[in-house]
Formats: sequence, C-alpha cells, structure tokens
Amino acid sequence: MSETISTADSADTGPLAPAAKRKRPVGFYLAGSWLGSIVLLGLFGALLPLRQWDLASYDYLGALPGTPGHPLGTTQDGYDMLSGLINGARISIFVSFFAVLFGGGIGALIGITSAYFRGKYDLIVVSIFNIMLSIPNLVLSLALLSTLAYSSPDKPATLQRRLIILILSLTIVIIPILGRIARASALQWSSRDFVVASKSMGTRNFTIIRRHILPNVAPAILAIGFLAIGSVIIVEGSLSILGIGVPGGASWGSMLANGRGNIAFSPHEVYMPAICIALTVISSNWFGDYVRSRLDLREAKI
Amino acid sequence: MAGSGKAHLRPTDDRVLVVEDLTVEFRISRDKIVKAVSGVSLDLVRGETLAIVGESGCGKSTLGKAVLQIPKPTSGSVNFLGKELTELKGDTLRDMRPAMQMIFQDPISSLDPRLTVSETLAEPLRVWNKGTETEIQAKIDDLLVNVNLDPSVVRDRRSYEFSGGQCQRISIARALALEPTMIICDEPVSALDVSVQAQILNLLQDMKDRYGLTLIFISHDLAVVKAVSTRVMVMYLGKVCEVADPDSVYQRTRHHYTKALVGSVPIPDPTRKPTGNLIQGEPPSPMNPPSGCRFRTRCAAASEQCAAEEPQLREVAPGHFVACHHPIEV
Repeated sequence: MSETISTADSADTGPLAPAAKRKRPVGFYLAGSWLGSIVLLGLFGALLPLRQWDLASYDYLGALPGTPGHPLGTTQDGYDMLSGLINGARISIFVSFFAVLFGGGIGALIGITSAYFRGKYDLIVVSIFNIMLSIPNLVLSLALLSTLAYSSPDKPATLQRRLIILILSLTIVIIPILGRIARASALQWSSRDFVVASKSMGTRNFTIIRRHILPNVAPAILAIGFLAIGSVIIVEGSLSILGIGVPGGASWGSMLANGRGNIAFSPHEVYMPAICIALTVISSNWFGDYVRSRLDLREAKI
Repeated sequence: MAGSGKAHLRPTDDRVLVVEDLTVEFRISRDKIVKAVSGVSLDLVRGETLAIVGESGCGKSTLGKAVLQIPKPTSGSVNFLGKELTELKGDTLRDMRPAMQMIFQDPISSLDPRLTVSETLAEPLRVWNKGTETEIQAKIDDLLVNVNLDPSVVRDRRSYEFSGGQCQRISIARALALEPTMIICDEPVSALDVSVQAQILNLLQDMKDRYGLTLIFISHDLAVVKAVSTRVMVMYLGKVCEVADPDSVYQRTRHHYTKALVGSVPIPDPTRKPTGNLIQGEPPSPMNPPSGCRFRTRCAAASEQCAAEEPQLREVAPGHFVACHHPIEV
C-alpha cells in the first residue's frame, strides 16, 4: 500500500487562497476607502490647517457650504462644519472602536469558555446574556449612562468622564451581543473530534481554547465586530440626540442634536453629520460582510 | 440476551485494561436519563484487538470515550496499566493520557482545519516536551513516512487538501506520536471508500505489529471486524450480548441478536436469495429500556423468563460467552 500525494497543484495555497483569487467587489473598495479616510482624518485631522472646531466665527452664522474659509458652511452658532465633522469622526470612531474592542474581547472570552466548559457556568452565562439582550440596546445604554455619568446632580460631568462612561456602557451593551455569537460558534467547534483528540493527548483546557477554539471562532467575532461598530455609532448618535451622549457638538450624533432646531434655516447642519453616520454604518456593514466571506474556511467533505 | 456479568474476564497478569460494571448515563432533562452504557465489563490482554460491534446508538463510541474518561463514566471501574482511572484527577490523569489514544470515525472532523499537518503532529510532542524543535520535526517526518505519506509533500498542507483516507492516516500518525500502549479506534474506516478501508486496516495492522499496540476496534461492520480482531464483543442497547473469538461469533453464533447481525452482512452473490428480515422494528429507547433482557422486545425466542430476569454472561463453549436464557444450539 504505497500511496503518495500528487505534487501537481497549488503547493503554496492556504485555506484563504480561493477567496483571494476572487475579484473584490466595488463595494469593498468604496467601503474600505471611506472607513480608511474616516480613521485617518480622526487620527490626524487635528494637524490639518483648519479652524478650531469649537471656535465660533460670528461673521458667518449658518453660512452655506462653499463659503470662503468654511468649505462645508457653518452652523447657526458660527461653528465650522468641516472641522466639526473631522473632530466628530475622531470621537465617534474612538468611542465605537474601543467599545467594540472591549465588549468583543470580554464577550468572546466569556462566550468561548462558557461553550467549552458547559455545565452550570454556561447556564448562568446564557441566562445573563438573554436578560441583557431582552432589553433594547438604546434603553440599556441610556439607563447605564444616565446613572453612571453624573457624579452629583449639580456638577456637570466633564467631556472626558462622559466619554469613559459612554465607552463603558456601550461595552456592557456589546458584551452579550458578541458573547452570544462567540458562544454559538465555539459550541460547534468544541464538539469536533480534534478537540477530543487534543484532550486525549493531555493538552490542557486553556491550551486547547487558545490553539484550537479561538482561531476558529475569531472570523465570526471579527465579522460581527465590524457590524457592531456601525450599530454603536448609531446608538451613540441616538444617545446624543436624547441629550446624554457626548455634549457640545463634539461627536456626529451630538452635532445632529445641536443642529436639529435649525433645520429650517441651515439644513446642511443636520444632513452632513447624518450622511457621515449613514456612510460609516453602511461601510462597516459591507466591510464586515467582506471580512466574513474572506475568512470563511474551506473544509473538505467526504 | 443483552445482559451483564463478568464471566468473560480473564484474570491473567498481562492485561492492559480491565473495565468492570461501567455505566454511562446522560441527563437530558430533569427526569430523563439516557443509559448509554449499562454495566459493561471487558478486559484487554496486551497485543490483542478487541472488536466492539453493535448497531448505531448501542453505546459503542460512548464506551470507548468513557474508557478515556472523556467524559468520566457515571459508575464502574476502569483499570488501565494497573491504575484506576476513574479515581485519578487533574495532572495524575493527564500523566496517563499519552499511553491511551483514540482514532475517530470522521477523518475531517478529527483534524483542525487551520493547522498544517506538521503543526497537528507537533502538538502532542510539544505538549509533552518530547525533545528539541529539530527532534520534533524529525519525529514528524518519521511518523508521516510510517503512515505512507511523503513528508516533503504533505507537511505544510491543511486538512481540506486531503482525501478522507489521507486524513485518517494523519490521525493515525497523531495517535502514534506519543507511542501509546492502547489505541481506541472508533469506527476508523466506516467513512471511507471500500478500497481505502483496506489500506487503512492494513496500516493499522502494520502499526500494531511495529509498535506492539493493543487495540479496541469499534465498528458496526462485521466484515471489517472479522478481518482485524482477535476477540469480538457484541453490544446491544448498552449491554453485552456475546463475547468470543471472531470465528466462533460468525460460525457458531449463540446469541439471537448476533445471528441477526451476522445475517445482515451482504453477500456479494446475485444468485443467492435474500434471507429476509431476521429482526423486526427499531431498538427501544435507551431512556426507558425493557426489563430483564434488553433484546427481548425484538427477539423470536423471548419467554417470560426474559422479561423477569436479566441474563448473565456465561460460558457456553471454551472462550465463548453469551448472555441469553435461550441460546441458539449449534
């Protein structure tokens, strides 16, 4: 019984090769370049020779887009729209990125261990996830934020404190969402024979999780993580409109909230941050979808 | 038939494994318990191949995994190389693991799709610190050559690039990496083409001779069992029916269930008339097994005694044990 394997084809192809050969959709480039420029502007926008975003210019109140010195116009209060949007990108991306990073990390850890060890721990985790998921995202973050953000009733919270509390409460909202995805995926991988084989070799549980479960669950978490960034931007915007997000027009949602009253006089004050939010959410959805299809594993079938 | 008893155990000194009264139960809901394995005893003499046969769902695979303590059995004793595994915990149990390995039915499921062949084979060696990186890599090449795969070709490939038979070779190589005493083969060829089945069975036989292995071979395919085993244990609904050497089981069948199993093996002869159904209906639910003999609901020879009293394994011919009140006369 001498059987050797043909060397003829594709010695250098990994599991990702088939997807890489596929032509990338146009949507991927559009989404990628929008997200890329938002991140770059968020990180380095402060270096651009623009007006300060929170410095009002009383010569231009509610100027239309295209006004000299204010390419995207100003608000009714005289704030520059372009620098406001760039600063808003920084805050919105910062908040949603860290909320998803922390929430996804903690959620994945809880979800994977819960699926792997099962038993009472799993039961408790699932119950808590279900209770948290039964409360609408916005209501849950609203409740968390309004109880946590104010140290005392007569002392207004600083921007920094508000941001930290905002990230914290959004993290708590994200944990069960990504945790449940991680658990579902880990449940499937934990029942595979290679996990039993690894156990029967005497591999320790946490080594199995790190080497076998986590790498296989990661694509699902990553893909949903991108989708979650979009949702978090929306939740953050909604909170700002409700008046308890980031104050003073610092984020896109907050700009929307401030401009709402002036929609009859300077509609660009509302639709510009709204367009930014919409494009970012659509892009992160697209991007997440693409990441998922790219990381989808090819497996042999008998 | 299907009953308990320990008459078939051989109290010799060179036994690798002695399992007594092993029971595995799974709680499905508050008041529902599946009795997957009930009071099974078996022993394994060094160098032999014990085949465990029975239809799907009779507890064969559960028995195999319970021997490895994945998960721990509900009750009973598993004595492996003189150590009582059911009493070991944590690191003391872990220390026993390299000596007992398992090969699975589904060759695709038993390999991590994200790892290359060399990473898969390196895992057990790294877990147990078997030498330096160079030694580990050399050992991997040895293992691959042993299972007739070309190391230079397969090392850096992942499981999806292989056929079922090739995946099964890799699984065998992984099971051999720690030079175990005993390997439990859980239907290792039932997912493969017949021509590949023969290759894998030959390979297992070669490896058994080369490494001095003791095998438990779980299967539902009596033709395969006949080719590899030195002793056969027939199971039905979590109980043992008949234990004997393969020739006795096939030619001097004493148990009504075994007779039905043997009769269901297809014979490649178009002129031969089908024998008709030797067995009717479905196996009863393991949540609520019949009283007495578990096979009585489908057995032609069942009497009132079968419902009242559980048959024990008894010796009906030298080395031939059967658990039945009314064994077939030969």
